[in-house]
Amino acid sequence: MTIEINNRPYDLPDDARISLLDFMRERLEFFGSKKGCNQGACGACTVLVDGERILSCLALAAQYDGRSVTTIEGVANGDELHPLQALFVEHEGMQCGYCTPGQIMSGIALKSELERGAPSNVSSDLTVAPRLSRDEIKERLSGNLCRCGAHNGIIDAVAAYVGGEEQ
Amino acid sequence: MSYISPTKIDEALEVLSRGSGKIIAGGTDVYPSAQLGQHPDFYMDVTRIDGLKRISVSKDIVHFGSAVTWTDIINADLGSAFDALKATAREVGSVQIQNAATLAGNVCNASPAADGVPPLLALDASVELASRAQGSRLLPLAEFITGVRSTVLRRDEMVVGLQVPVPPSTMTSAFEKLGSRRYLVISICMTAVNLVLDQDNRITDARIAVGACSAVAQRLPALEASVIGQRPADVEIKPEFLAPLTPINDVRGAAAYRYDVVQEQCRRAIMQAASR
Repeated sequence: MTIEINNRPYDLPDDARISLLDFMRERLEFFGSKKGCNQGACGACTVLVDGERILSCLALAAQYDGRSVTTIEGVANGDELHPLQALFVEHEGMQCGYCTPGQIMSGIALKSELERGAPSNVSSDLTVAPRLSRDEIKERLSGNLCRCGAHNGIIDAVAAYVGGEEQ
Repeated sequence: MSYISPTKIDEALEVLSRGSGKIIAGGTDVYPSAQLGQHPDFYMDVTRIDGLKRISVSKDIVHFGSAVTWTDIINADLGSAFDALKATAREVGSVQIQNAATLAGNVCNASPAADGVPPLLALDASVELASRAQGSRLLPLAEFITGVRSTVLRRDEMVVGLQVPVPPSTMTSAFEKLGSRRYLVISICMTAVNLVLDQDNRITDARIAVGACSAVAQRLPALEASVIGQRPADVEIKPEFLAPLTPINDVRGAAAYRYDVVQEQCRRAIMQAASR
């Protein structure tokens, strides 16, 4: 049983009860994904599995046998920041920084969801394509809390990343 | 402790016949409910079983395999009778949870505040179960869930899928949910309504279900009967129509508040379904 994390394979733990988040942080020392609430209510542990965002605190590592996980450690290209990381700096999308890895992973997934044609999350019509409005972005980032209240900067950064209107 | 991921139903049923395991799909309710010092004999993952990730539509039945996620439902092409279920899907947890969590898991977890149960009750859904010893059986959803976090699922049995009889093409639906915020909270109260209107804008069929106001979400038969023949704007929601509900006082809201909310949600959901 192996899991790929940031393009490198790792043996899964023998104990099936370990969460993906604990496995990454405590066994592999990937400290980027944060443990905020550990009960699926804050989004700080958001990672991508085969490009889709999930909460690593609500997952057992064993569930993702053979799958490919991307964490915040895996998004930059060497010393060159991922475009969304650079936009978080430019728009001051953080204060303490604890929620930032989860916010960035969510923002990256959000863009690919829109590109894959996910329907709008704010329209009363459940099949219409989303407009790249702030409301749409806010709604789709609702699974990531920032207790410092840096949401305005976060939304600015993600809006710039997806090419939406900055109002 | 082992983690088993069968790829065939027969293999899965054989695994379940071996002992007291825990079935896992998205896992979003499994990990938080684990208790220190207690663990099942094994976990059995159903998401790699052939066919269980599929939503299929036949002449009479819409079938949701037990590994179908909320995101699968959001992206599926279903009729307007399923709009309430779709609206539920996009408000369950958060996008991250919708990508992993399943409809069948929501039903099996049997929380009184399970968002998926009211829309499924309003769709007359049934639960398809299978075991090696007793083969398969089909139970109406209302008979499957028996109380707070309790179902009739036997130890050696699994949910294979959920079945919904194909609704009339003119049926529309709507979902109303109240929480302290829209995402990542436990619902205070939610209402699903499925309606058919005639050409005179009068209701000819109504199914109304309410969650988080009783141990198990309930249909409201007296309200459903009373709205037949009425225009949506004229519907009156009398307190006696809410008899199946037994809301409690808890940290999220008082019982009296929940009664008020239900009445308003029924009005809004009826108007919204009628406008679709």
